[in-house]
Amino acid sequence: MNKFLDRFFHLSTLSIALLTLLITGAIFGVLFEEAKPAIDAFGFEFITNSKWAPNLEKFGALPAIVGSIMSTSLAMGLAVPVAIGVAIFLSEIAPEKLKNPVGISIELLAAIPSVIYGMWGLFYFVPIIRDAFGGLGIGLLTAGIVLAVMILPFMAAVTRDAMNTTPDILKESAYALGGTKWDVVKDIVITYAKAGIIGAAILALGRAVGETMAVTFVMGNVHKIPSLITDPTTSIPVALANEFAEADEDLYFSSLFYLAMILFMMSFAVITFAKFAFLKRGRSAK
Amino acid sequence: MATIINIKEEKALETKKFEFTYAGAPEPSLKNISMPIAKNKVTALIGPSGCGKTTLLRSFNRMHDLYPGNNYGGEILFEGRNILTEKEDMIKLRTQIGMIFQKPTAFPMSIFNNVAYGLRLKGIKNKTELADRVEKALKDAAIWKETKARLKDDANGMSGGQQQRLCIARAIAVEPEVLLFDEPTSALDPISTQGIERLIIELKEKVSILIVTHNMQQAARVSDYTGFMYLGDLIELGKTEELFVTPAEKLTEEYITGKFG
Amino acid sequence: MSYTEKRILINKLVMVLSTLSALIGMGFLLWILSILVINGIDAINWNIFIYEGAPPGYEESGLKHALIGQALLIGVSTLIGVPLGILAGTYLSEYGGLKSKLANIIRDISDIMMSAPSIVIGSFVYAVIVAPMGNFSGWAGIAALSIIMVPIILRTTDDMLQLVPSTLREAAFALGAPKYKVILQVVLRGAKTGILTGVLLGVARVSGETAPLLFTSFNDNFLNTDLSEPIASLTVTMFNYATSPYEDWQKLGWAAAFILSMFILTLNILGRVILAPKRNKK
Repeated sequence: MNKFLDRFFHLSTLSIALLTLLITGAIFGVLFEEAKPAIDAFGFEFITNSKWAPNLEKFGALPAIVGSIMSTSLAMGLAVPVAIGVAIFLSEIAPEKLKNPVGISIELLAAIPSVIYGMWGLFYFVPIIRDAFGGLGIGLLTAGIVLAVMILPFMAAVTRDAMNTTPDILKESAYALGGTKWDVVKDIVITYAKAGIIGAAILALGRAVGETMAVTFVMGNVHKIPSLITDPTTSIPVALANEFAEADEDLYFSSLFYLAMILFMMSFAVITFAKFAFLKRGRSAK
Repeated sequence: MATIINIKEEKALETKKFEFTYAGAPEPSLKNISMPIAKNKVTALIGPSGCGKTTLLRSFNRMHDLYPGNNYGGEILFEGRNILTEKEDMIKLRTQIGMIFQKPTAFPMSIFNNVAYGLRLKGIKNKTELADRVEKALKDAAIWKETKARLKDDANGMSGGQQQRLCIARAIAVEPEVLLFDEPTSALDPISTQGIERLIIELKEKVSILIVTHNMQQAARVSDYTGFMYLGDLIELGKTEELFVTPAEKLTEEYITGKFG
Repeated sequence: MSYTEKRILINKLVMVLSTLSALIGMGFLLWILSILVINGIDAINWNIFIYEGAPPGYEESGLKHALIGQALLIGVSTLIGVPLGILAGTYLSEYGGLKSKLANIIRDISDIMMSAPSIVIGSFVYAVIVAPMGNFSGWAGIAALSIIMVPIILRTTDDMLQLVPSTLREAAFALGAPKYKVILQVVLRGAKTGILTGVLLGVARVSGETAPLLFTSFNDNFLNTDLSEPIASLTVTMFNYATSPYEDWQKLGWAAAFILSMFILTLNILGRVILAPKRNKK
């Protein structure tokens, strides 16, 4: 009896564990299957074509892909330096009394749903951009900044955790050679935590690429490569969020699935790269 | 109450009525310590754990200043000045008084860059000068032979004993007057320990050495003077061979004969 | 100026810059938090809990439909996602271990799925559930949320079970217990606070998801508890109301944002509090 139950328990946990693999595979398979008509119709030109005209049944993903890359790059360009600054502040500069409360609030802010960052962007940040640059206030720049603000707490918290793994004795050794705080941070702390910091940045990048709600409000969903940084444009998640429920033609649907598949592969690639290149858990070492 | 002998040599460092209180502590951890440290000699600090020997050691290069709220009292004289004043240039002080830690602290960089680190902080940029001084430091730390072929390798690939020598090379590269050793062999095997001890004895020609050790045999082997500390007091300072054979204080005798500790 | 003086100057400069960036970052975050609290408290009143959605301009409009819908979606997803995640995590730790290739592949894939764009999962569920069934439904939303939740629970369970000392397992085996009993009665019990924290954080994470619900559970402006029909959620309601041009709807959107954030923050804080005494002991 026990033997049977043992086998039963083993096999049922195993099959549930395998389910996770199955679902991941199914996502790839289903996205591909659904995208098939669009793949057959447009092939790789889908990626290089910039015309997206549902009424003409012409679909090109270039604006959405470029929009995704540009908004993400902008967000990373703004968030990475600030996040590292925040992390240095939290791990090396802040007085002991501040470290914990500020650190915990940053971690909690990372848990706030991204849709709320989007609402903030729409109601409070768009008017500022509008007043400063004219136009609608909706567009690439706004989206980039809102994304940056959204990934900031996550990146700052993970970067701080990475920096905090630097042994005190190593830092003291550098001070004992006459280093200033900045010498110690740049030569010891950042060098020691390099892999973790880069890994954090890439994970943040993965989040930014796939982020939908923070940017849907403020990007405009215009399938056009922007000529100005303040122009409205779109990104893959924004196009999906706006058009999925509205698509009526099969080819339109299929093109959206094609977009979703490209997005899934982009994020899969980014995260896999981060994991294997920088975030080795030291599993084999244990 | 304490027995502090007068030393004949020139003094490298001297504490006068030195006190130290950790941040938030109600009582000072070190009380009224007046201790001379002889130039170009090895002085060992021994005592049971918690007696304050490491705390005293870390006062000489003002390591305690890295953490806010710690408090010094009295004086530490170095090169004719009191180094406990506000205006003391800590960066310069730390290049003059180097430190070796309990565990090897190889930085996450190449062997060469580890030794060159302090030199670069001093502003030495000339490549040949850097190379020459790194080589000299590695030779003085008796580790040149093992490292000359792999200066560009990551320092963390070395053994513990080699890493500790590398740290010594890094410390002596900037030509300090004094070297502070904080239980430098506590993480090492007996053979590496022997090597480090031999090195310490050789190094005293060039620098004055203060070493904290939990190992009385080590103190006896390497030091010229030994100080015994107990509960934040310096109980006795004497010539090493005299202190271990004919201690003046009863507490010292009890400690070295193993009655407590 | 000597080299050391230069270094000291640069040091001061960087310290100022870093503190400044911390202030800027914190400033933005405080800004968001304060508008969330100010608008939320301003918008919250009893009507919100009593009334369902209504056309703009009506006094008697509230969020009852979205609150109940959200509770249903999250509740059922938790009931599905948590046991699946815990059992799969149990397999990884207790049968797979750290050296099993299969277990490590599942770990890596779960890590990747944890960061996968949630809108992609929404479109997947659309293709496999919504399209064949012919309509948006609560079940579709639950499927999407469960797919997002499982990897989170799986990884924490795996990590927490590995923290259970192997001597505990050995002691139970030595008493002649079969493996499934050792796992169920000793190992899982030993890791229960850690797993509970993982569950709380997983639920918190899923509660804020909007994108995967947009075209799965869709939305409904009125109360519906039939999971085979479209159903309202706080997040999608928030999105629809915030993008509407009507001020009273926008206000309801802020109320929803505030309630949801408080719920998520509470779960996060709870998770920390539960784990805190254990951490201190180490």
